Amino acid sequence: MAPMRIALPKGRMMDQALELWDRIGSGIAPEQANTRRLILPSRDGRFEFLPVKPSDVPTYVEAGVADAGVVGLDVLLERRADVLQPLDLGFGACRMAVAAPEGQPYPDLPGAVTPRVATKYVESARRFFAERGAQVEIIRIAGSVELAPLLGLSHWIVDLVETGRTLKENGLVVVDTVFASSARLIVNRARHKLRLDDHQRLLAELEAALAAPALTTSSARS
Amino acid sequence: MQFLPISHVPVGSQDLLAEDVRLLRRIHAAWYALAEARGYEEVIPPTFEYEEVFTRGGGPELASRLVRFVDQDGRLVALRADFTSSIARVAASRLASAPVPLRLCYAGKVFRQEAAGEGRRREMFQLGAEMIGDASAEGDVEVIRLLLDTMHAVGIADFQVNLGNVEFVRPLLERLSFEEAEALRGAIDRKDRAALAAAVAAGEIEPGAGRSLVELPTLIGRGEMLIRAAELAIGESASSAIERLRRIDRLLTPAERAHIVYDLGEIRGLGYYTGIQFEVFAAGAGRAIGVGGRYDHLLALYGADRPAVGFALETDALAELLTQAAQR
Repeated sequence: MAPMRIALPKGRMMDQALELWDRIGSGIAPEQANTRRLILPSRDGRFEFLPVKPSDVPTYVEAGVADAGVVGLDVLLERRADVLQPLDLGFGACRMAVAAPEGQPYPDLPGAVTPRVATKYVESARRFFAERGAQVEIIRIAGSVELAPLLGLSHWIVDLVETGRTLKENGLVVVDTVFASSARLIVNRARHKLRLDDHQRLLAELEAALAAPALTTSSARS
Repeated sequence: MQFLPISHVPVGSQDLLAEDVRLLRRIHAAWYALAEARGYEEVIPPTFEYEEVFTRGGGPELASRLVRFVDQDGRLVALRADFTSSIARVAASRLASAPVPLRLCYAGKVFRQEAAGEGRRREMFQLGAEMIGDASAEGDVEVIRLLLDTMHAVGIADFQVNLGNVEFVRPLLERLSFEEAEALRGAIDRKDRAALAAAVAAGEIEPGAGRSLVELPTLIGRGEMLIRAAELAIGESASSAIERLRRIDRLLTPAERAHIVYDLGEIRGLGYYTGIQFEVFAAGAGRAIGVGGRYDHLLALYGADRPAVGFALETDALAELLTQAAQR
């Protein structure tokens, strides 16, 4: 049987995911860890891991070229991929928040000003304000979103907050929470049915590993 | 206004050239030969209809994806988005006094709006069949069997039909507000156990029903799974939903059963399904290539109350799978 392909988001979340697979006996061999190979086999041959850009994980899984993947809820909600989402893996916890310069009014600005919101997460921001019936202008920014309110490009920002340090350094404070995010296991709908036994076994194993008390994981350190 | 060369076609539309057309014809030939042999007669509904034909039964999802325009008399018209709705209208009006069961089949294009940039077609070929006027499990099996045999006839062997029964969860959802039911429907569809457990803990659902909801993502498997599901069925409707699936399982041959996965979280079809419901998945395609199910109340919306069951397959997806197989 061909190995199951798992798309992983390059970066810290990938290390945490590989640690989790290690706990079910299917991690990668240490010498594989720092190679630049595009496909990493698991020690036991059951899996092949595909390290990809986080925002590409839903794309690979939705198209079925990967059986499953690990991705943050923030990425998933932004992409709105049509995939199964059976498990909250717990690590990679952070929150999507609205932040404003200290003293900036929220949720209403004085006068007839339409609030401008800078963000990388256009879809999540649009949905959040729409659900509240708030009319805002959303400005798409690719990086260093904290800069936007400092320069007067926007009144508020919507961004991922882990420790809040970057915000603080730029004189910004969290004024609202959009949603709490963490890593999710996502599964292709077709592959789940075509290899049902393999998929159900993986789900059960991961669920058991998550329920068992963790020994030392990087998520406990952060 | 941007000027584009005339060689461009709108996003989601395409030309089919000689080789594509030959393949499509081969699929259609296999389909019509099989359907006719089983007593299904071809119908060709119009390409555009009053939009109510699609909005009445199809639910908000289909309604949001119609390609509409204003007709000469000011009424809203939509391009055919779904054959079943059109055929239900014909069966409930012009064919209302025809003897039942009525066996009808079709092949042609449907048109649906898709978000830009997702690489999905807005114009696609479908083929399918509807059996009208038979409410029995034997009727379900006849249609499922026609679907399985169609897959084999066009030359696709590695596929699974994901079969559920919406009556298992419908009673649980009916007691909730629209928003709560939609949120729960989403969680069931994504097999998101954490979200289901959270919804149950939030308290709108009675404890017994809560247990079935949280277990729902695990109620997937071959026929044996249905025995466990029967223990989790809450109320008469859910119990008879399981009984119906078990009866279908008994009526299928072992070779047919190998292509069936029972999944009580299978609830993603169009709004009009009432009983069994299924999606078709094939190796090489990342998403469902066909859907079907029972829609016992749809015809009543067009004026004649008749039970019915049917399926539709995406012909373009079948063609792509055959092309992939030929290249290997």
